[in-house]
Amino acid sequence: MADFLSAYSIQNWLESCPQGYLEGTEFGHQPGESEPELLAQNKILHEEALRTTVQLVVGERCALAASSGLINAAPDEASKRFLATQTLDEARHVEIFTQRLYDLGVARRDLESVIKQYANHNLVKFAGVLLEKVDKKDFVAGVVGQNIVLEGMAFTVFEMMHALNEQMNPKFAHVLSGTIADERRHVGFGENRIGSLIKEFPGKRPEIERMQKEMSYYMLATFADAFRNNPAAAEFDKLQQPQAHAKWQGVDLAEMPPEQMESVLADTVLKEFKVRLGRIGIEYQTPARP
Amino acid sequence: MTDPLESAEISEKPDTQRQRFVLDETGFDEVPKRFRKFYRKWRGPGDSLAANEVICPVCKVVIRSTRELRPGDRIYCMPCMSRLIVVMGETGMLEALVAY
Repeated sequence: MADFLSAYSIQNWLESCPQGYLEGTEFGHQPGESEPELLAQNKILHEEALRTTVQLVVGERCALAASSGLINAAPDEASKRFLATQTLDEARHVEIFTQRLYDLGVARRDLESVIKQYANHNLVKFAGVLLEKVDKKDFVAGVVGQNIVLEGMAFTVFEMMHALNEQMNPKFAHVLSGTIADERRHVGFGENRIGSLIKEFPGKRPEIERMQKEMSYYMLATFADAFRNNPAAAEFDKLQQPQAHAKWQGVDLAEMPPEQMESVLADTVLKEFKVRLGRIGIEYQTPARP
Repeated sequence: MTDPLESAEISEKPDTQRQRFVLDETGFDEVPKRFRKFYRKWRGPGDSLAANEVICPVCKVVIRSTRELRPGDRIYCMPCMSRLIVVMGETGMLEALVAY
C-alpha cells in the first residue's frame, strides 16, 4: 500500500499545479514572453538551441510513454492515480518543449524530421533501456528507471539549465521552472513508492542495479555529446556577448568551458543517484565513463 | 493537516517549550494555497535555516513549521509527499531522514 500517497489526490494536484505555479501561463511561460533575438539572428546559437530542445522533447516523450505504460502495471489504486497525473505532466512537458521548437522557427510539417536529425542516439538508447522494462510491465524496475534515474537526471539538468537561462532567456527559464516543480512530485513518488516496495521484492535488486548502470552510461554519453566540441561558448566569445553570471552548485557556469560544465553536471547527477538509491536500499553501480 | 510538523517526539517540560514562529508567505506556489507558507525554496550557498526549518532531502525544498523543530520530530513534505524524521546532522544543523 502506498501510504505516503494518502494525502495526495487529483484535487491536490489541481490546486498545486494548474491552479498554482502554472496559473496564467502559456506553454509554461508568462504571456508575451519570447525567445531572445540573438537566437534568431545567430545561426550557431540557433542550431544549438534546436539541438538542446530536441533532447528535451525526446526525453519527455520517453517519460510520457513510461508513466502511461506503468499505470496498468501499478499494484495499487493510489499509485495508478498518481501516475495518471504524472502522465499529464509529461504530456505537458512534451507539448511545451515542442512549442519551443515552433517558437524557434521549426515548421509544424518539419517537426519529426528535425527531431530525427538532432536526437542524440545515446539518449535514444537510454530511453530504450527504460521502455523495455515498462513493456514487460515490470513496475519496480520501471519506477526506478523512470522516477529515480530519468526524473533524477531531469531534475538536475533542468536546474542547471534554469540557472543558465534565468537572466539571458526568462521565457525559457519560466518554462523550466514549472517542469522542475513537477519533477519534485515525480522523484518523491519514485523514492517513496520504491523505498517501501523494494523490501517486498529484494530479489529485484541485481536487475535494477544493472539497469541503473546501463542507463547512467548512456546518460553520461549524452552529456559528453552535448558539451564536448559545443560551439556555443566560443560563439559567445566571438560575439563578445557577455554571458550573465549563472550560479549553480556553488560555481559560476558562465565562466566555465563546456567540458568543465559537463563534469560538474555529471558529478552532480551521479552523486544524487548514489544518495537516492542508497536511501531506498539499492546499491549504486558506477557506470563506465565515455 | 496544516503544519508540516505531524508529531513531536517527546513530551516537553515547561522550561523546554518550543519557540513559536509566525510564518509569512514566501512566494512558494507548488502546493495548494493554504499550505504555501509552510515551504520555501532553498536559495543556495549563503542561505541558512531557522530553528523551525529543515531541508527535504528528496526534493530540496525548505520545510517550515510554526514551531521550533527538534530531533525525533516527524514532518511531512507536501511538494514531494515524503514523510521525514528530523535528526541532528554531523554539522550540528538539523537534517531530515526519509521514513518509507
